[in-house]
Amino acid sequence: MTEATQSPVTASPSSLEKKAAASTLSRLAKYTLVKVLTLAVTIVIGVYLTIIIANMGGEVDNIRRGEIRERIALMVSMNQDLRRLPAEERSKYINDMVRIEEERLGLDRPFILRSFTYLADAMSLNLGRAQYLTSDSGSKQVRLIILERLPPTLVLFGTANILLFFTALFIALGLSRHYGSFLDRVVIALAPTSAAPGWFYGIFLILIFAAILNVLPYGGMVDAPVPETTIGYALSLLKHMVLPTLAIFMSSIFVTIYSWRTFFLIFSSEDYVEMAKAKGLSSQMIERRYILRPTMPNIITNFALLIIGLWFGAIILETVFNWPGLGRLFYRAIGLFDTPVIVGETVIYAYLLAITVFLLDFIYALVDPRVKVGGEGPKA
Amino acid sequence: MKRYSLLVVGLLVIASMVLSACQQGTQVVTQVVTEEVEVVTTVEVEKTVEVVVTPEPTPVERNGAWVDTIVVVEEPSADAAVTRLQNKDIDLYAFTVSNAEVAAKVAASPELKSERSFGSYNELTFNPAGPVFEGTGKLNPFAVPAIREAMNWLIDRDYIVQEIMKGLGVPRYTPFNVASSDYARLAEVVRKVELKYAYNKEKAQEIITAEMEKLGATLVDGKWQYNGEPVEIIVLIRTEDERRQIGDYVANQLEDIGFTVTRDYKTSAEASPIWIRGNPNDGLWHIYTGGWITTAVPRDLGDNFDFFYTPRGLPQPLWQAYTPSEEFDKIALDLVNRAYTTIEERTELMAKALELALQDSVRVWLADRASITPMRAELQVASDLYGAVYGSQLWPYTIRREGEVGGSVTVAMPSILVEPWNALAGTNWIYDQMLIRGTGEYGLVFDPFTGLTYPNRVEKAEVVVQEGLPVTKTLDWLTLEFAPSIEVPGDAWADWDAEQQRFITVAEKFPEGTTALRKSVVYYPADLYEKVKWHDGSPFSAGDVVMGIIQTFDRGKEASPYYDASIAPQVESFLSSFKGVKIVSTDPLVIETYSDLWNLDAELNVSDWWPFYAQGQAAWHALAIGLKADGAGEAAFSAAKADELQVEWLSYISGPTIDILKAKLDEASAEGFIPYAPTLGEYVTAEEAAARYANLTEWHRQRGHFWIGTNVFYLERAFPVEGTVVLRRYNDYSEKADRWLRFSAPPIAEVEVDGEDRVTIGSEASFDVFVDFEGQPYLLADIDNVKYLVFDANGELVLVGQAEAVEDGLFQVNLSAEDTGKLAEGTTRLEVVVVSKRVAVPSFASFQFVTAP
Repeated sequence: MTEATQSPVTASPSSLEKKAAASTLSRLAKYTLVKVLTLAVTIVIGVYLTIIIANMGGEVDNIRRGEIRERIALMVSMNQDLRRLPAEERSKYINDMVRIEEERLGLDRPFILRSFTYLADAMSLNLGRAQYLTSDSGSKQVRLIILERLPPTLVLFGTANILLFFTALFIALGLSRHYGSFLDRVVIALAPTSAAPGWFYGIFLILIFAAILNVLPYGGMVDAPVPETTIGYALSLLKHMVLPTLAIFMSSIFVTIYSWRTFFLIFSSEDYVEMAKAKGLSSQMIERRYILRPTMPNIITNFALLIIGLWFGAIILETVFNWPGLGRLFYRAIGLFDTPVIVGETVIYAYLLAITVFLLDFIYALVDPRVKVGGEGPKA
Repeated sequence: MKRYSLLVVGLLVIASMVLSACQQGTQVVTQVVTEEVEVVTTVEVEKTVEVVVTPEPTPVERNGAWVDTIVVVEEPSADAAVTRLQNKDIDLYAFTVSNAEVAAKVAASPELKSERSFGSYNELTFNPAGPVFEGTGKLNPFAVPAIREAMNWLIDRDYIVQEIMKGLGVPRYTPFNVASSDYARLAEVVRKVELKYAYNKEKAQEIITAEMEKLGATLVDGKWQYNGEPVEIIVLIRTEDERRQIGDYVANQLEDIGFTVTRDYKTSAEASPIWIRGNPNDGLWHIYTGGWITTAVPRDLGDNFDFFYTPRGLPQPLWQAYTPSEEFDKIALDLVNRAYTTIEERTELMAKALELALQDSVRVWLADRASITPMRAELQVASDLYGAVYGSQLWPYTIRREGEVGGSVTVAMPSILVEPWNALAGTNWIYDQMLIRGTGEYGLVFDPFTGLTYPNRVEKAEVVVQEGLPVTKTLDWLTLEFAPSIEVPGDAWADWDAEQQRFITVAEKFPEGTTALRKSVVYYPADLYEKVKWHDGSPFSAGDVVMGIIQTFDRGKEASPYYDASIAPQVESFLSSFKGVKIVSTDPLVIETYSDLWNLDAELNVSDWWPFYAQGQAAWHALAIGLKADGAGEAAFSAAKADELQVEWLSYISGPTIDILKAKLDEASAEGFIPYAPTLGEYVTAEEAAARYANLTEWHRQRGHFWIGTNVFYLERAFPVEGTVVLRRYNDYSEKADRWLRFSAPPIAEVEVDGEDRVTIGSEASFDVFVDFEGQPYLLADIDNVKYLVFDANGELVLVGQAEAVEDGLFQVNLSAEDTGKLAEGTTRLEVVVVSKRVAVPSFASFQFVTAP
């Protein structure tokens, strides 16, 4: 994704400094403009595709019309007062109810027109109102629906993934220095265990710690009734986070370590590292200056993508642990064809991704002196 | 240094996330799709005043609920719920589980038990268009009634129940639910139908072959062809439940007799545009695996024929393709219009309609689905035969651990706080409604086993119906009279002037005067206003009742400041049969109601006007603040209006509308606001208004919500994101805890028949029928009737009669010499049907004996 370029580090004569600065600014502005436009177009295309897919190209309108009629038929079948109305009166009642519901869902307007309204609203981050879903506390505003589920998602997946990220990073770094050790071989041997997803481990963890040992909860976010004090609440939350965090951790830790370890090993065998070793530099110094530093862009990219990847949660894991996160919300929205919620979640993710991609270029330049934003040299 | 900085930043991120999630800002609420439970009543004919005698438990001193706290949690998985029940993590799983494996697990556990209930039922819906589809030019065999009728013989319902549903169901052949008073009343007719249409594949094939040949189809190499192409049957198979296996089974059966079958697997969303909205003549489907729901004990299924078999049922293309025979159409219409004057006449019509319905068979009924509500063995709670525990009105009064008073019960349900709670047009999800019924009480409550009503807050009632209407009564808390004509008094309220905010009297609406087919007078106890208090401490008042009457009309009137277009059709429909309401006295509270709408049961003809609205109970002052918000366009009671105005849907328990309601409460309190002042102001004083707003303010201060009722539990707090609700016992509830305890278990009779193994044709014979419940003889006074049917060795029904009562728990079937003279030589089967007054599920037993000359 990066378009930053490398250029050899050269000394500049002082007379050329002002000119160089102006040139840099101009290059930066041009680069920024092109980049922003490119990302904006990408977002528009991505979001519009989401709208089209979520609505099955307009087929969802037919589905909704059918569902409305079926729901009302069921309602009438169960309501003796309605069934005993004269046929014409009953028909009028049913047709009125159908019309009201179709108008409520906007089915009285062609899908193609509505699709552009969805797009305009999404791009301006006017997330609007859900068609079927409400937030847990009862709001129909997509913004509130999403915001309500955000903290549980962040706290669980944020904790688990950050823990996973840094643990894996530091262990991998250590293993890269002890290539072929017993621990290294153990990690390699266990790496295939990551083929199973987190929810798979979750089921076993629930079985062992909740159903058999009865020491940890089956799921949910806190105890019931909910503790009244903040400390009690936080402790209860931590208790409920143990199993899902462990499930996420177990499902990914070995392969992540393996992956980072391999990555560090490649850098550890670079000539300049060998040179540093030959110069007698301490291993800490080598690690920090000659291994970590050149790998920083990759580490940061991984970390940034990890952070925005939290946005969608994990549908099945949240379901297994009955965790009130964004994953389950997204799943419900898809099941109900609730376009505003689907588009809302997607557009925010799209913006987050675009911003991340945009910022990463600048961050690369900050952490790696070989990188220049918008330079003419070869692509980094 | 950079590495440490990164570590610190990481830790900070984690810490901030933990703290943000620890905020307890989100509050209470709940949501689902609850269908309004309409009680369909069917009642017996000749009975006039028969009092059901039921054993009363030993009185106790405790008032209100047996337990102190109900903790409600979310558990989406039935499997996990059963494990949690076994581990005592929860006490009750408030859901109807129809998974056979889970049911077996519950049955196998000595620590658990379950309550069985009905609810959904399955059928095959046929596309009757054709016989050649206009859209495809292809043959549709199901346009021919005889082929549809033959499908009854092609389907083995016992296989469906035993192999597909694993026993969690009952075979069904007719439009009658198996657990219903009509089924019991017409037992011999239904039994004949069941025997006639019992599984017989050869017969089905024979009829279908003959009819297909008439249509011009030919059987080539075992496959039906029409115009040189295979006759293709498209089975639209629903995939979400057992209907997937049922659809496959039906497809297999059709393939076996030569049809080329396309199995079109669809979810509800995918199938509905095709079967219910699409034009049947497009030829996109032939058979749809349909499913319907009953949410209350059906007491009058007479209108099923009109709804399921005629174009009058629904204004959808499929229904418009129905072409019932003239005779069937007329009978269906007579039954829905109740164009009969006696129950005998109705029974005759129903019997004929049953026969014609099976001949028409645009639907082939398959099975009534049964399900269980699992719970700890020590828990007791009333369960509705159709609505289960979560649909029962009596669950809050009866839930307890056996032998215990107080304590806490944990209830799990698959979903919790699904949609906003407001009494006028809030959540209709059954999970929310269960909790709403825990906090709000009814004036009349439904018997969970018969569907009749009992007085809860009402003291007594009188019902008067026009002579000639076949209305009967069963219980003794009301009287029933007949009158040649029922005049509606001129000062009764017939309608509502939303602009002037006053009622329109009968004299104004009907200057010439008007009559009604039914009148009810409901009497509340003299100490009503002292005994009943809202949870916020406000005494119940006549204002609460008058607000309820106003709400019946107001929001459906365009001139109302609270007008809601989505309510208008309901109000219009209500007014088509409503004639008037009159508050005869406010203290004691006595209300007369006049209407042209009537039911066969007198108990279901009482209008109580108790302020339990469509989605919950509400005090006038609680509604007032919502009306203020609704009128100002800041929030709306209904989802439709909220969407129209682009505002929030009102929730009284949590979310953004809590702040709006609080602001409106402050305004109302400052203004001394009395909504609909020109009318309600006559029943509510300024002092009452001030006191009530103060009470509600304090309630909100303590609990952060505005949800109040008068029932045995109040809402302590709801935690929407965490998925938890806490209900606490309402200490000021006035009635005894054991009041409804007799409804803790459905008294379904256990029947056994014994008698002679060998009967000589032409001689007398006698058989004993033992009727028990939980090992005790069933009281004679609790039994409606015991019928017997005798099928001879040829399988023909030869005798039908009533067994004679001997004593509690014992009846006798006496066959005369003339009776046995009608029997053929061989094995004869005696079937007995016991119909209880205490439960709508009839009990069956059979006995075989040998007849010889």
